[in-house]
Amino acid sequence: MARNAAGVTTAGAAGVHRDPVITAAVIVLWLLLALFVVYPLAMLVARMLTDHGSFTTAGIAAVLTDRHQIRAFWNSLLLAFLVGIIGTALGFLFAFTAARGRLPPILRTVIDASVLLPLVSPPFTTAIAMIFSFGPRGLITYDLLGLKGVTVYGLSSTLFSEALTYFPIAYLTLRPILVAIDSNIEGMAFSLGASRTRVFRTVTLPLAIPGLANAFLLLFAASLADFATPLILAGNQFPVLPTQAYLQITGLFDLRGGAALSFVLLVPALVVFLLQRYWVSRRFYVTITGKGAGQTPFDSISPVVRNVLLAACASVTVVIVYFYALLLYASLVMALGANHAFTLQHYRAIFTDGVKAIRDTLIIASFAMPLGGLYGVLLGYLVTKKAFAGRRTMELVSMINYALPGTIVGIAYLIAFNDPPLELTGTALIIIACYVFRYGPTGIRATVAMLQQIDKSLEEASAGLGAGSATTFRRVTLPLIMPAFFAGLGVVFIRSMTAISATIFLVSIGWTLITVKILENITELSLGPAAAFSVLVVVIVFVVIAAIGRVLRFFRAPGAMPMTSLLGG
Amino acid sequence: MIQARRSVRLLTRAVVLPALFAIACISAIPALAADTVNVYSIWPENWARPMFEEFEKATGIKVNFVRFSSGEALARVIAEKNNPRVDVLFGGPVETFAAGISEGVFEAYKPPSFAALPARFKHADGQWVAIADDPLVFMTNDKFLKEHNLKAPVSWNDLLVPAYKNMLQMADARTSGTAVTRIFSVLEVNGRDENKAFDYMKKLRPNVQLYTKSGGGGTLPVGLGQAGGGIFFIVDALDTKAKGYEVTISFPKEGIGTAAEGIALIKGAKNPDLGKKLIDWATSPAMQGQFAKYKINFVPAHPAVAPEPSLAEVLKGVKLFPIDAEYAGANRKRVVDRWIAEVLNP
Repeated sequence: MARNAAGVTTAGAAGVHRDPVITAAVIVLWLLLALFVVYPLAMLVARMLTDHGSFTTAGIAAVLTDRHQIRAFWNSLLLAFLVGIIGTALGFLFAFTAARGRLPPILRTVIDASVLLPLVSPPFTTAIAMIFSFGPRGLITYDLLGLKGVTVYGLSSTLFSEALTYFPIAYLTLRPILVAIDSNIEGMAFSLGASRTRVFRTVTLPLAIPGLANAFLLLFAASLADFATPLILAGNQFPVLPTQAYLQITGLFDLRGGAALSFVLLVPALVVFLLQRYWVSRRFYVTITGKGAGQTPFDSISPVVRNVLLAACASVTVVIVYFYALLLYASLVMALGANHAFTLQHYRAIFTDGVKAIRDTLIIASFAMPLGGLYGVLLGYLVTKKAFAGRRTMELVSMINYALPGTIVGIAYLIAFNDPPLELTGTALIIIACYVFRYGPTGIRATVAMLQQIDKSLEEASAGLGAGSATTFRRVTLPLIMPAFFAGLGVVFIRSMTAISATIFLVSIGWTLITVKILENITELSLGPAAAFSVLVVVIVFVVIAAIGRVLRFFRAPGAMPMTSLLGG
Repeated sequence: MIQARRSVRLLTRAVVLPALFAIACISAIPALAADTVNVYSIWPENWARPMFEEFEKATGIKVNFVRFSSGEALARVIAEKNNPRVDVLFGGPVETFAAGISEGVFEAYKPPSFAALPARFKHADGQWVAIADDPLVFMTNDKFLKEHNLKAPVSWNDLLVPAYKNMLQMADARTSGTAVTRIFSVLEVNGRDENKAFDYMKKLRPNVQLYTKSGGGGTLPVGLGQAGGGIFFIVDALDTKAKGYEVTISFPKEGIGTAAEGIALIKGAKNPDLGKKLIDWATSPAMQGQFAKYKINFVPAHPAVAPEPSLAEVLKGVKLFPIDAEYAGANRKRVVDRWIAEVLNP
């Protein structure tokens, strides 16, 4: 018993050897990371630095010295930074309002549902709605405001669209953290004489910092990787690297140059990640050593502030709802802007010609969701709670596929898995693996953020009472990180239904995806089917997320965290 | 403790149930028939699908296809060179095929129609063969023209007037075969004098609002009036009109390019015989005689098939330059690079 406890509390490799379960899990994870993260990347670098078998740096040198690519690089950073800031602020606004605003359940459901809308639809659908609403003949700029000569292409539209699309990630990350901050602590500070503003500034906000850092990192990475939104909205005045890389590869058949372009993006992604690690790790956060029962709720915000927050949330919500109403309308008329007669033909089309894409996407998402959720929790748990050699490295490696632009991950997979012995192109497995290792990190980040709030003594107590690490994980840690697990599960499923940047290279004769169909339809002027597909995706994801919420509600025990609210159940 | 056990049960369910569902779905997929030919189609699905269904009716061979734009399709064929996934590359402007030849991804094959085709509709060794011809057009928004008291442009210089400032959309030469065809059109109009051609394109640049990824990408904005006009392939332009958007199609008096649309057998194809049958069929009147039935506004490549009357009417008296595949293939990369450096990023 004592030996066991020592094994857990002593940091270092010694603890690993005594715990076969942990050792096995670490080895399996390393093998998977080597196969699906390191190997494809290595193959890609090899392709980038060789030309018909001989070593050359010409490809990467050409990129690093081209002033247009340098401009695109700075543009990417600026965009990602602004999306990170604005998206995190929006996410915090919504999460804080939801967690502290004492909303009636119906209002909370409305906000939850509309916040999820951008997250559950393919990224370029917001962009398309922007194209219709703004610009020289946009519904808002021309028809409503009568403005002329307005341009819709550039930084501001791209920023607007990306912030709106990605802020739900921040919301999903921040909400469980804010909910987990015991409002009794805020109550104590208040009763000790601090004003509500001071409580917020000195108690609530500092406790939310790991979450804010996570949210910023996730949004920064998401923006850095997004090529679909800039492709439609950035125009020629504001080129960004992911789009440049995509065009380089798909258009100029220049795998090497495209690989080099994307590779440059890895640097800022890693820098932000390391900064965040350092910044967060300097702070120590424990608000609770368990979830105490019998709390007396404390009103963290005054009625006036509450109304201001609600109004802010409501106005963002109205914009989102307008965009998606437009999308729904486009799916139900013959041709938006030309022939507004009602029709169901677009839905008929997607359920006949498009049925294979729908089935393929559902099968792939059904595999990726549980695997990605499990992967996220397991890896997040191990690197936070277990001391083993190379755990920092493991966390870093696990973030690579998320931080890299999807284009490059897709091309890397295509290069790495096209030939025997690892011939995976053309299978569903390659798409599933791509989703698990590309979107699983959301679950990892959520788990890490969650675990940083749980005092280690809880697990030590369990170990001290004689439980092995598996039992401790199952009975103590797992229930505490379930919200993170479901956040990971939800995000992987949502992304499996909506992502395109990596998998556009991985779809094949045998397996195709709804998102690829949507992009194709948009470029073919078939806006109706594209809108119908998007509406279908939104509906499917909502049904699944609602189901997850329902299961969680069943699970929720008195005094437990209100996890049902996490995913809008 | 109850909570802990529940969470484990829940975790198991969340993992196992979707997996079971997925397995059930997979086992429900019918095995692919033996007589199936695999194809990357550059033609959009609404044109490719009816053609392939007609092919199946005629031969009993099923076509399993995915659609990609020309650049993506070629990038995939090249990436899969050591282990080809498809048997045939279907559709797409001829310059795409010219680029593929230098990568060595095609297998020469001369279908029965080969001899009947004019020289510009085939590669000398049969690396590719044409299935259609696709002229470029000017397309303008009616309301825009009226608001600015303009007539539909009938000369390349008409597009240079200030009224079009920041109001034209056309394709990006990095991704789009349409754009490359457009650039070679400007070259032909200027007697292949590159400096003169690039002077024109640089003058046009301030009027261009956006260079789109795909050739048809600008048609919807022009249809809606978000852009005033642009240069597109006739198939895309006529399709826009047919959808009900109020646009005018016109041609420059100096002439405009027209690009052959090709088909090619992939080197190392797993079903070469089936692929050849598709090429035989697609290059013959058997397929090209069906364009009109499905309102596909390509000009048939086979001399035995006449273009549909309303399409012929639109093209009557229009001066067209066929894009020379050999010249385009040899100069494509250099010209596109120059376009990127001097026009796109001045």
